[in-house]
Amino acid sequence: MTQVVLFNVFNGLIVGAFYALMALGLSLIMNLSGVINFAHGGFLAIGGYLAFTLMPYVGFWGGLVLAPILTAVLGLIVERVLVRRLYGRDPLYSLLLTFGLAFMFEDGTRFIWGAQSLPYQVPGWLLSPLSSDYFFLTGYRLFMVVIVALAVAGLFYILNRTRLGMRIRAGTLDLETVSVLGVNVRVLRNMNFGLGIYLAGLAGVLAVGQLGLQPTIGSSLIMPSFVAIIVGGLGSLPGTLLGGLLIGVASGVTTVFFPSATEAVMYVMMAAVLLVRPRGLLGEEGRF
Amino acid sequence: MGSNDLQKQAPNIVVWVLLLALPLWLPYVGGYMELGSRVVVLALAAMALNFLLGYTGVLSFGHAAYFGLGAYGAGMTIRYLVPSTGVGLLVGTLVGAVAGAIIGPMIIRLRGVYFAMVTIAFAQVFYFIAFRWNSVTGGDDGLTGWTRLPIHLGFTTIDILHNPVAFYFLVLAVFAVAVGVMAWLLRSPFGRTLIAIRENERRARFLGIPVDQHIWISWTISCAVVSVAGALYALLNNFVDPRALYWTQSGDFVIMAVLGGMRSFWGPLIGAAIFVVLQDYLSSQTENWMSFVGLFFVLVVMFFPRGILGIIRRKVAS
Amino acid sequence: MTLLRVENLSKHFGNLIAVDGVSMTVEPGELRAVIGPNGAGKTTFFNMISGFLTQTSGKIVFDNKDISNLLPARRVWRGIARTFQITEVFPELSVRENLRVAVEVAAGLRLSPWLSAARDRGIRARIDELLGMGGLAAKADRLVGEMSHGDQRACEIMMALALKPRLLLLDEPTAGMGDQETYDITQLIRRLHRDEKLTIVLIEHDMRVVFHLADRILVLAEGKMLAEGTPKEIAANEAVQAAYLGKVAA
Repeated sequence: MTQVVLFNVFNGLIVGAFYALMALGLSLIMNLSGVINFAHGGFLAIGGYLAFTLMPYVGFWGGLVLAPILTAVLGLIVERVLVRRLYGRDPLYSLLLTFGLAFMFEDGTRFIWGAQSLPYQVPGWLLSPLSSDYFFLTGYRLFMVVIVALAVAGLFYILNRTRLGMRIRAGTLDLETVSVLGVNVRVLRNMNFGLGIYLAGLAGVLAVGQLGLQPTIGSSLIMPSFVAIIVGGLGSLPGTLLGGLLIGVASGVTTVFFPSATEAVMYVMMAAVLLVRPRGLLGEEGRF
Repeated sequence: MGSNDLQKQAPNIVVWVLLLALPLWLPYVGGYMELGSRVVVLALAAMALNFLLGYTGVLSFGHAAYFGLGAYGAGMTIRYLVPSTGVGLLVGTLVGAVAGAIIGPMIIRLRGVYFAMVTIAFAQVFYFIAFRWNSVTGGDDGLTGWTRLPIHLGFTTIDILHNPVAFYFLVLAVFAVAVGVMAWLLRSPFGRTLIAIRENERRARFLGIPVDQHIWISWTISCAVVSVAGALYALLNNFVDPRALYWTQSGDFVIMAVLGGMRSFWGPLIGAAIFVVLQDYLSSQTENWMSFVGLFFVLVVMFFPRGILGIIRRKVAS
Repeated sequence: MTLLRVENLSKHFGNLIAVDGVSMTVEPGELRAVIGPNGAGKTTFFNMISGFLTQTSGKIVFDNKDISNLLPARRVWRGIARTFQITEVFPELSVRENLRVAVEVAAGLRLSPWLSAARDRGIRARIDELLGMGGLAAKADRLVGEMSHGDQRACEIMMALALKPRLLLLDEPTAGMGDQETYDITQLIRRLHRDEKLTIVLIEHDMRVVFHLADRILVLAEGKMLAEGTPKEIAANEAVQAAYLGKVAA
């Protein structure tokens, strides 16, 4: 029993790490630009499929490095051509725009790569269990956790230690002042969008190794990311991280005891948080 | 009636004449009766959403949940409880309205994108319930094994099951009542407080309007009407499946409202007509209709943010 | 009998102390001005009285009842109305429609789904009365968002007045206005005070307006109470002069 629970807690942690990675990107974009990026799941899927396509040429590691970067470039272009025009307008419009893009991305991946799920080859040595008692502890799973941890650490390093990151954080608090201080807000938002999409692409590459390649992979992961943001606290990146891990673990544990409620449990958590503490676990007062 | 009143009433008259005469003209433009019913049902949903979006200024991206609850409420009532179309409609409406009323207090303190996000997330709960609770809802395959039933009025029986025109007029009658209630509310002092909240929430609050309470009422009314539409939708298809509750359905309602014009009472009706016909056409022409629908979203946002009626009104004004 | 009593009111934003233990009493029929250099905490002080912000500590007593923890709408129901430094109106509605919302809410009709013809006549009459009082009758059917700043401000004040308040809070009623508009608004406030016997507390930068209108003046500086008294006493007060001149010199 302990093993089963541990298995599911660990599983939940991995899933939660995905949610967190995706939700962090969403949060970044939402906090600075006020845009809910519905197409985030679509970008995630594109990241995964790009890695799949690149692998024969650049190998697993090359795909892991290149695919998220290419996805981010696509994000920069989308921001520049479409999203940018809607800043300062009713958030309704950017929501509808990214909603339409989500349709196009999902259908586009289906058109290019087919509707069937495709196998994604992970290096063999990563797949073997590390311990016979804890069969679920494969190298790949551990590897994913490490990569997510590195990505999150990198993100917080960028935000706290680099000029770009500090400008992003300042802009999140008061965009007007930042622009008066001579920061090019258009470029800042563009870079920030790219950074968020990079995280989606990275989550995509990791996710397909675990879940396989399917056009719908993005739309199945986006809702939990929303929940992670709401639970963790609107406007707080550490909150988003915490929210993602929490709902992942909660889903994992629920799988053991009440499997049919696996998906529902995170929404129950969300309702509880909204009732008791509407701003979320680590949300700042007055920012929602 | 003065000429000014006539001018104000003209759009209403045109809309009602077109809707009442639909069975006469629809075949000539290549439509079929079921498509007409579909347009009216989805228009009702979009107008219900617009009660909240266009007239209270609150963006819900989760109205599919209440649409779907209305649909399942009607379908399950007829399937399991009472074989009556009328009871099904009533129960479906109540289920959606009550769910909306209960969820309301958890979300009304949020605004803007956050409100949108939380409504989307809540909608997903109902999707999972419908999807997972196989034994009752039929899960992914949908709720089957039932149909809408002829309506017995004592002196006569209306066969809405086999006569599509009769069913269309049932839909239109329900539509008329629901739309009439919304129009009437919007012209009342209560309705004016909603418009006040849309225009300037801070001013409304400091005029002594408890904004959260009013938004909750508006939200609940909107949920109730969208679940009426959902119940009709189930009757129309003699079938419900979880897609009626999926978040993409919510997006469809929003785009209908925006496309037609959020600030116009009839805007969402026009948006629904265009959207339904377009989707019907695209899905018969290409497997990749989803891409085209997505592209359509992008084009509407980029080029017609005020909607068709918004543009017309602007042209008339200038 | 005192209408409004503010006791030791403070507001902290993190480490910043915006308002620091300010007290004030306002008698019925009084016109009180709150002045002070930029950043003195005047608007924060106001926002706490109207319920826009919650105080960190202190107490607000209105008509002998503690209202410190009431929501804004409930304070309005008790008779406190306010305007904002940046005019808050319903821009896409006409002046008449703006006032109608206020009049209907004041008549207790905010949740009413219908309006009888007799009731409607009464409401129309009240709207016309307010339009006349605010000098807006000729512009009644124009959209407020398309009017001049001064007319928007007049509309906002008349909306507050529609509530039949016992205390009217005006946050910089002449901010950003030209000489003529400032004069018109000043005359409007003076009429309301004299003819309607309205109790008014206002924040104002324009000293001509303050000394022209106020019965008593409260001076804030850096969140603290600096002085209080009649316009004459304040004009002669050295601490006040130092605070203003100090700001100018710096």
